[in-house]
Amino acid sequence: MKGALPRGFRDILPTEARELHAIERTLMTAFAQHGYVPLEPPTVEFAEGAVTVDERRTLRFLDRDGRLLALRPDVTTAVARVVAQRYREADAALRLAYFTPIFREEASMHGSEREYDQAGVELIGDPRLRADAEVIALLADALARCGLLGTAIDIGHVGYVDGFVAELPDSARDAARTAARAGDLVGTVALARAGGMSASRIAALERGLRHRSTDLAGPRAGAPDSSLRALDTLDALRPLLEAAGVRGAFGFDLGYIPALPYYTGIVFQVTVADLGFPIATGGRYDGLLAKFGADRAATGFGIAIPHLHQALVAGGWQAQAESPLLVLAAHDDDATTLRVATALRAAGIAVVIGEIAETAGQDVRRARVIDDANLEYEGAARTLDAVITALTGDRSR
Amino acid sequence: MRALRIALSQGALFADTRAALAAAGFATDALDDGSRRLVIATGDVEFVLARPSDVPTHVAHGAADVGIVGKDVLLESDADVLELVDLRYGRCRFVVAAPAGSVDRSLDEYRHLGSLEVATKYPRVTERHFQGRGIQIEIIKLGGSVELAPQVGLADWIVDLVSTGRTLKENKLAVIEEIAVCTARLIANRVSYARDRERIASLAEKLEAWAAR
Repeated sequence: MKGALPRGFRDILPTEARELHAIERTLMTAFAQHGYVPLEPPTVEFAEGAVTVDERRTLRFLDRDGRLLALRPDVTTAVARVVAQRYREADAALRLAYFTPIFREEASMHGSEREYDQAGVELIGDPRLRADAEVIALLADALARCGLLGTAIDIGHVGYVDGFVAELPDSARDAARTAARAGDLVGTVALARAGGMSASRIAALERGLRHRSTDLAGPRAGAPDSSLRALDTLDALRPLLEAAGVRGAFGFDLGYIPALPYYTGIVFQVTVADLGFPIATGGRYDGLLAKFGADRAATGFGIAIPHLHQALVAGGWQAQAESPLLVLAAHDDDATTLRVATALRAAGIAVVIGEIAETAGQDVRRARVIDDANLEYEGAARTLDAVITALTGDRSR
Repeated sequence: MRALRIALSQGALFADTRAALAAAGFATDALDDGSRRLVIATGDVEFVLARPSDVPTHVAHGAADVGIVGKDVLLESDADVLELVDLRYGRCRFVVAAPAGSVDRSLDEYRHLGSLEVATKYPRVTERHFQGRGIQIEIIKLGGSVELAPQVGLADWIVDLVSTGRTLKENKLAVIEEIAVCTARLIANRVSYARDRERIASLAEKLEAWAAR
């Protein structure tokens, strides 16, 4: 067992860690520029507090008090608790951002990690459509800042399919909803048929489930009133997204039904080609906070950082270096070496003395100390000042 | 445009799957050239030949965009995929079976001992079914010839997949309950379905029309 780790956990080695930190800085900067302030929830919650994740998918353990605890399975639970405890009386909107590891129990041998970073925002207390447009635009902006190319935003509304399902008798309704969330469109339609839905309604439902376009005229025919209201909402969203700077690759996808049960309105996911899992998912969840005693409207999204990182690396992305790292070959006199290193660092240059085992993918330059004021750099003797100019010039380039 | 990658189940469903794809307008000649190739590119599609129980895994991870696989395999797998079309072939049933004439005795035993032993190749389907019924069972997972288990005293009941029911009869087993009727399904990766909607929806419609013929 020497050196082994529990399944689904791993060491993030320096090169990847640097890349993840670069992603974190970019995302948190983007979130901050839209007025989202950071929230850092604790790693451990009471197990019964988790409402958004199936209890079998939380990593649980007993503490010495005999309480059943869970490693944080998502951040939404913490946000809900904080809102209920500290912002219950607030009228204004609350905008929270996070970048933090979350923990999920995964069946063995599925190639899945049990700990991974998630970044996201929650916008609490604004039921308007403008809030939906805001978070979608923020997500598009944040991913673009990371340099992610070829994204498509898929936007749906859980009310569309729900409008059809609501017409079914009680007995069939829950089963049809469950089937739709599980992605079983065959089962959804079969249950609707068994529940006595008319042939024209079924045809409309099947058309809707296959519909993906920026145009929503097609799926209107034969749809129930409440489904039409969901389509009206999406129609009204389009100009807001355009005004907020979301261009091009978004489409209305009425077959997009998230697996999580708590969404109540507009839902969305961001995908890239050649990655079988979405980069980010989100949507409106107006009923959820009421379970914690704070009945506030809410929308938000979560970005699966491993998927984002994978897509960025596949696209040839590299973490931007703050400045090159100068590896300094030492002088015989240690005091001289240390003085030169200190002078270089004072000028803002990253310096390490002696050979290093791990460069973590940084831009590495080499120099040798000749004396207090001179170095051998790029094959020639240079003054300390010339080396500083060469290296800091690199940075501004 | 990148080729659409379609994972196909080798084995019992294969002949019907080939016919369905041919009817949907695909060149399927390359599928029966007798070679041992597992990835076959033809036109703008790429067929991946896989063991049936692996098809949902391929599709869930996006290694294939769509796949054709039995509902029985989907029920036993917990892969997160979209089920788009019921292709209506490969019909079989998940059933609970017991030695003919011994159902009363085993129910007596259940009342006495509080638990039944059920042999199966499909532990997930079995567990879910009996949990739904509120019946306490112990699952004995076997790799094959499940119908043997009651005869040699390994289990009281079995959960198995049957098409004609002949094997059950020959082993003097009777169906107690039907769990589900299963047919072949067109499944899709969630991201592929979003990004490649036109091609996948058009494939779904063609296969739907063929299945309803």
